[in-house]
Amino acid sequence: FLFKFLVIGSAGTGKSCLLHQFIENKFKQDSNHTIGVEFGSKVVNVGGKTVKLQIWDTAGQERFRSVTRSYYRGAAGALLVYDITSRETYNALTNWLTDARTLASPNIVIILCGNKKDLDADREVTFLEASRFAQENELMFLETSALTGENVEEAFLKCARTILNKIESGELDPERMGSGIQYGDASLRQLRQPRGAQAQSRQQCSC
Amino acid sequence: MPMVMADQHRSVSELLSNSKFDVNYAFGRVKRSLLHIAANCGSVECLVLLLKKGANPNYQDISGCTPLHLAARNGQKKCMSKLLEYSADVNICNNEGLTAIHWLAVNGRTELLHDLVQHVSNVDVEDAMGQTALHVACQNGHKTTVQCLLDSGADINRPNVSGATPLYFACSHGQRDTAQILLMRGAKYLPDKNGITPLDLCVQGGYGETCEVLIQYHPRLFQTIIQMTQNEDLRENMLRQVLEHLSQQSESQYLKILTSLAEVATTNGHKLLSLSSNYEAQMKSLLRIVRIFCHVFLIGPSSPSNGNDMGYNGNKTPRSQVFKVRKVYDVVRKIDVKEMNFTKHAFINQTSHEQEPLELLWHSLDEWLVLIATELMKNKRDSANITSILLKQKGPDHQDADAPTPSFAAAGAEGRKELSTDAGESKTYDVAGKQEACADCQDVISMTANRLSAVIQAFYMCCSCQMPQGMTSPRFIEFVCKHDDVLKCFVNRNPKIIFDHFHFLLECPELMSRFMHIIKAQPFKDRCEWFYEHLHAGQPDSDMVHRPVNENDILLVHRDSIFRSSCEVVSKANCAKLKQGIAVRFHGEEGMGQGVVREWFDILSSEIVNPDYALFTQSADGTTFQPNSNSSVNPDHLNYFRFAGQILGLALNHRQLVNIYFTRSFYKHILGIPVNYQDVASIDPEYAKNLQWILDNDISDLGLELTFSVETDVFGAMEEVPLKPGGASILVTQENKAEYVQLVTELRMTRAIQPQINAFLQGFHMFIPPSLIQLFDEYELELLLSGMPEIDVNDWLKNTEYTSGYERGDQVIQWFWDVVEELTQEERVLLLQFVTGSSRVPHGGFAHIMGGSGLQNFTIAAVPYTANLLPTSSTCINMLKLPEYPSKEILKDRLLVALHCGSYGYTMA
Repeated sequence: FLFKFLVIGSAGTGKSCLLHQFIENKFKQDSNHTIGVEFGSKVVNVGGKTVKLQIWDTAGQERFRSVTRSYYRGAAGALLVYDITSRETYNALTNWLTDARTLASPNIVIILCGNKKDLDADREVTFLEASRFAQENELMFLETSALTGENVEEAFLKCARTILNKIESGELDPERMGSGIQYGDASLRQLRQPRGAQAQSRQQCSC
Repeated sequence: MPMVMADQHRSVSELLSNSKFDVNYAFGRVKRSLLHIAANCGSVECLVLLLKKGANPNYQDISGCTPLHLAARNGQKKCMSKLLEYSADVNICNNEGLTAIHWLAVNGRTELLHDLVQHVSNVDVEDAMGQTALHVACQNGHKTTVQCLLDSGADINRPNVSGATPLYFACSHGQRDTAQILLMRGAKYLPDKNGITPLDLCVQGGYGETCEVLIQYHPRLFQTIIQMTQNEDLRENMLRQVLEHLSQQSESQYLKILTSLAEVATTNGHKLLSLSSNYEAQMKSLLRIVRIFCHVFLIGPSSPSNGNDMGYNGNKTPRSQVFKVRKVYDVVRKIDVKEMNFTKHAFINQTSHEQEPLELLWHSLDEWLVLIATELMKNKRDSANITSILLKQKGPDHQDADAPTPSFAAAGAEGRKELSTDAGESKTYDVAGKQEACADCQDVISMTANRLSAVIQAFYMCCSCQMPQGMTSPRFIEFVCKHDDVLKCFVNRNPKIIFDHFHFLLECPELMSRFMHIIKAQPFKDRCEWFYEHLHAGQPDSDMVHRPVNENDILLVHRDSIFRSSCEVVSKANCAKLKQGIAVRFHGEEGMGQGVVREWFDILSSEIVNPDYALFTQSADGTTFQPNSNSSVNPDHLNYFRFAGQILGLALNHRQLVNIYFTRSFYKHILGIPVNYQDVASIDPEYAKNLQWILDNDISDLGLELTFSVETDVFGAMEEVPLKPGGASILVTQENKAEYVQLVTELRMTRAIQPQINAFLQGFHMFIPPSLIQLFDEYELELLLSGMPEIDVNDWLKNTEYTSGYERGDQVIQWFWDVVEELTQEERVLLLQFVTGSSRVPHGGFAHIMGGSGLQNFTIAAVPYTANLLPTSSTCINMLKLPEYPSKEILKDRLLVALHCGSYGYTMA
């Protein structure tokens, strides 16, 4: 399978760092504002199935809003990120959520991520409050830390697992246009990676 | 002895019974017994005889072949069955591990195989490469053989040493039917040990039909094919061939392919817009996919409903549907881009068609450009703000004298924040923030410009593939107009973008005009490259120089009547073929090839200006030519002008140089640039001076009594020609003298030879589209047509005079010649053109340069220097007016500016 994911949320909440941590297992030290939309992908194993996540990391800054909006369509899952040390980013969640619900596919699976969990001392949004918000809006919820890597992989995997479940239960139809899901012959493609040709193989699997 | 073996069994039997000959004696180099030979030639009776005499049926020759192998290889049915009767061992392998079954399988001898398999215990015998009979049968596509082998229990998925299965073999050679049989019988789809799949092989070989079969059995492979468009190792035309075939199967298949391709393209486009992606790779990938997309799009399914329909008038065709749906989509988008609500969105989803995914990409592109436009606006406003604030602050703060440049804005702002602790802090902070935003925005533009441009190129490709040939989609024009400012900003920053991505400019003159000034400012060389690249674009295999030429396409000309005979053959020849390549042969001569072509152009170009034909007249300086206004003395003259145009067009097309130099004004005519009175100088310098004088002086009180009419000399008789209706009765006054000069110029330069020019251009444009030649100015056109003359700087230096205060020994003069030494050959030509108006050095060198009235040496005159003053020239007297620059660097810089922009510089003279 191939799932198209989005990472959205206000500027400075650590979306790019989350993605970097997820893909490289490293914290990105000197991170700049994302310009427009960035791209990353990773092959993960979810419930015995190989799934390739194609992740679009959007810019949080308002000025890029119109550009990033055009990427929403055809996303199967989204990570909605806020910063637990910033009430402002939490308050903006409703806006982001409306955007995602209206612009992306109606079946999009969204997971709420309270990032910067490591900065507990500066916390402005409690776990309880956020999880209540998540419940009300039918979102999954996790507090993450791109710095320590805590819950980062879990967030992506949890989202992917939910999508897989929905597919298996028939709730989601991967064949439908704009579902953000594609069948892929992942097993074959892995076999195809030629020995040593790293750069090339990275190209290869970028679908 | 072996000869006898051919078939005369009687003589053989006699021989054998009468001699002590060993029946198993091995003959010759390959050590074959008589039995081998009999089996090989199919002499059944001899074979039987030999076997009866006790010949060993399993005797192996030097390569390990038994008689059975040979019989199998050559399909000697009877011999084979006899050998089997005498208990020949079917399982013996030759030195390569091939058994008799392999031999039968290779050649597809199913019938024999049938007989043979009865005696075989294991049909999966492997040869040295681990290949079974099934492998070789599949490779060669022997359907019945494959079936027979499978019926006999051959392992359908057996891999050879490199892991290739029978299906793999069938696919690697595009054996569609065989692949179908294998798949029908449940062959597994397995890659070889290097991970190469049967599908890869099919696509590599461009076997569309086999791919189709594979997809039939493994629908998921469809996506794999689509994904392959991203793989740059695959040959594009092969992949295209496969998709072409697939899309022709059915309409739904066609739409599915387009949709999937569009999806892949969109993803790639989005990736390209991600700054962290590899620009080169993504750009190429996107453009390749879009190219394939357009190609498939244009082909369409060959279903009966729209067989040969071009798709622009039928309602049933998918293409017209595309337009409709697209319009709906556009309308929806226009109504509310900001708040596309869900219902509308669902509606769009429902009307999903092949283009839809791409719409997403175009939408993103649009948004990007809008974003950059707003950033640009903000930037302008902010930088104005910043400078004003900075200026205000400079006083009280007494900070460093030089304001930080935008690129250091962030750093500068940091420092500033710490320094200012007084009340002005918040204000400074504000400035810093703005500066940061400004620098940021510069970044955004510089980082995205080339990426966006590549997407624009893709957008153009998609738009134009939906339009009839040669038309630009209104949608695209609208798009360019909408984002005019941003696009101009892009190309201003990085003009290379034009050459890399903005090919659309060449195809739509209405858009070209918007960018012309930027393009013209680009180096000649770059434009040349672009010109040729585009000229030869749509031509198949234009890089193949030594294509075999069809005998009929050779231009056969007579050397003694080269002009007339060439004209005849060229006018008869196929224009498209001539564009691809020319081959010339002189009557009665053997020679062919590039040398002959060059000679042909050379002779022909001097013939064209041969005064005997009265087509062209020499201009005053004696080196350049222009159409003869009286050429009609030659009744066929317009035909010949058309031919001359064709020859020059052809020469330009094939980068052949011609031996003609035209007047400046005629080059302008070719380019479609209006002439001005200065150009008259080349045909009548005296007249040009008069015109100049009229313009320079007040003519009201001179009593010239000029009217808007002119007397011309037509073979001795004077004729009065009005310049405009009723011109003979309109007096030329101080007020309308400019109009008069222009009209006179046009009469002299254009109107008098209008039919000739038109005919010439008609021929020229057959090979060179007008939109392309526009890239150049009249000077460059001369270089393109006639080539770059060699310039001997020493000769030049020797034959140069100095006036108005300059001496040979002056520092500035010294610098000047140093700079000339440093110039490229091209720039020297430009300099020569700048000063003398011609790129040519006359025969005999610089000592023979002609001026308006006889010999006139190259002259350098001094001009008092003021800042930024450029050198100027007076072409009539070959004079360079060189300001007394204070340093060599400034001199060089100014000179180069003048040379590169100077082509428009006549007004300064």
